[in-house]
Amino acid sequence: MSKKGLLGQLIQSFCCLPGVGAKTAQRMVFYVLQRDRQGARRLAELLLLAIDNINYCRQCRTFTEDDLCNVCADAGRDTGLVCIVENPADVWVVEQTGVFKGLYFVLHGRLSPLDGIGPDELGLDLLRRQLSAGGIRELILATNSTVEGEATAFFIGELARKHQVKASRIAHGVPMGGELEFIDSGTLSHAFNDRKVF
Amino acid sequence: MTHNAVNLQPAFILQHQPYRETSLLLDVLTRDEGRLPLVAKGVRKPQSKTVALLQPFVPLNISAVGKAELKGLSHAEAILPALPLQGLALYCGFYVNELVGRFLHPHDPHPEVFHAYQQCLAQLAENINIQAALRIFELELLEHSGYGLDFGHDADTLQAIDPQQTYRFKIGVGLVADKKGQISGTTLLALAVRDFESPKVQIEAKLLMRTVIDAYLQSKPLKSRAVIQQIVNSDVYG
Ligand SMILES: [Zn+2]
Repeated sequence: MSKKGLLGQLIQSFCCLPGVGAKTAQRMVFYVLQRDRQGARRLAELLLLAIDNINYCRQCRTFTEDDLCNVCADAGRDTGLVCIVENPADVWVVEQTGVFKGLYFVLHGRLSPLDGIGPDELGLDLLRRQLSAGGIRELILATNSTVEGEATAFFIGELARKHQVKASRIAHGVPMGGELEFIDSGTLSHAFNDRKVF
Repeated sequence: MTHNAVNLQPAFILQHQPYRETSLLLDVLTRDEGRLPLVAKGVRKPQSKTVALLQPFVPLNISAVGKAELKGLSHAEAILPALPLQGLALYCGFYVNELVGRFLHPHDPHPEVFHAYQQCLAQLAENINIQAALRIFELELLEHSGYGLDFGHDADTLQAIDPQQTYRFKIGVGLVADKKGQISGTTLLALAVRDFESPKVQIEAKLLMRTVIDAYLQSKPLKSRAVIQQIVNSDVYG
């Protein structure tokens, strides 16, 4: 496909989005040009606004256009509990459950030595300052259940211990409605290791 | 050089990254086929049984099909649970994975390296003597990827290594006597028999291996090493 010309460049730009291959990108571009120029203009304007105005919350690093995000600004939240997640999308997922009333801390990634991502890239200096300022009773480590997620949880767990703050890891195991037969052996061994008294 | 199928090969994932919406791009170390780039199609979905297995440090048996350079993963099963690496041992495991990825070319079989890799992970999992485990693996990897060092002889004079002398590494040549060299002859003789008992040997061996590895990787430093340095320097381990 030609990269020259506006059309080509636009298709290329859509290709940078996750899950969008060349064909889908082409379909999207043709759609907005043929049928929805008004919507496309609005999308372009919003994109510009978002890029200029959405930054990290100064306390939890999630996306917000304010200094503090909605959760951090909410006086009803338990400031002694902090849930550590990899991505802003994870905040949204946990919020949907309604079970958690504390605050979050968003890493925007995970420890990934092969990609050169270490504690500094994850904003852990800010977390360290919050831990030493006192007031945090417990960190809930809700990083993904990948090797990198576990490495991250372990490191932050050590950090918490160093500041005499309790750290807990969310449980990984048998999904609701899950039949043992259909669960992979990794998840099942996790579920066994983390079993609790019944 | 590209066979049509890989059939139930013992393997470890070195690196995995998301690919398209639901797939994974894998860098895999197999026993008999060497390093293989593989694509695991459609595994990043809820209810996917395979995605949990396709992680570093899980001893796997894998099968793959396809004629192209980039084969598709057709089957993966865990032979054993993931090696229980934690903390520093885990971070070092990532370092070992990066080393393998940098020193072995794809489709170039090295069963000895696979064996050394397994041994190294097993040692890391025990969390004792991490340094020795890393050094032994580095030595094996260098040797089998064509960068082996002769720890018995001075590369310039071909004389036997003298325990009283000091040496340095000269790229493309080997170990040469040098009054200002930082590696003692005693250390080289200990390395020849993989004896890491003495703390002095451990320190000098680390320095030597770093010099040699950096010399061969020249332009692109190891990313994991910088991250491990960051972790070790953070006050968590201070
Ligand atoms: Zn916030």
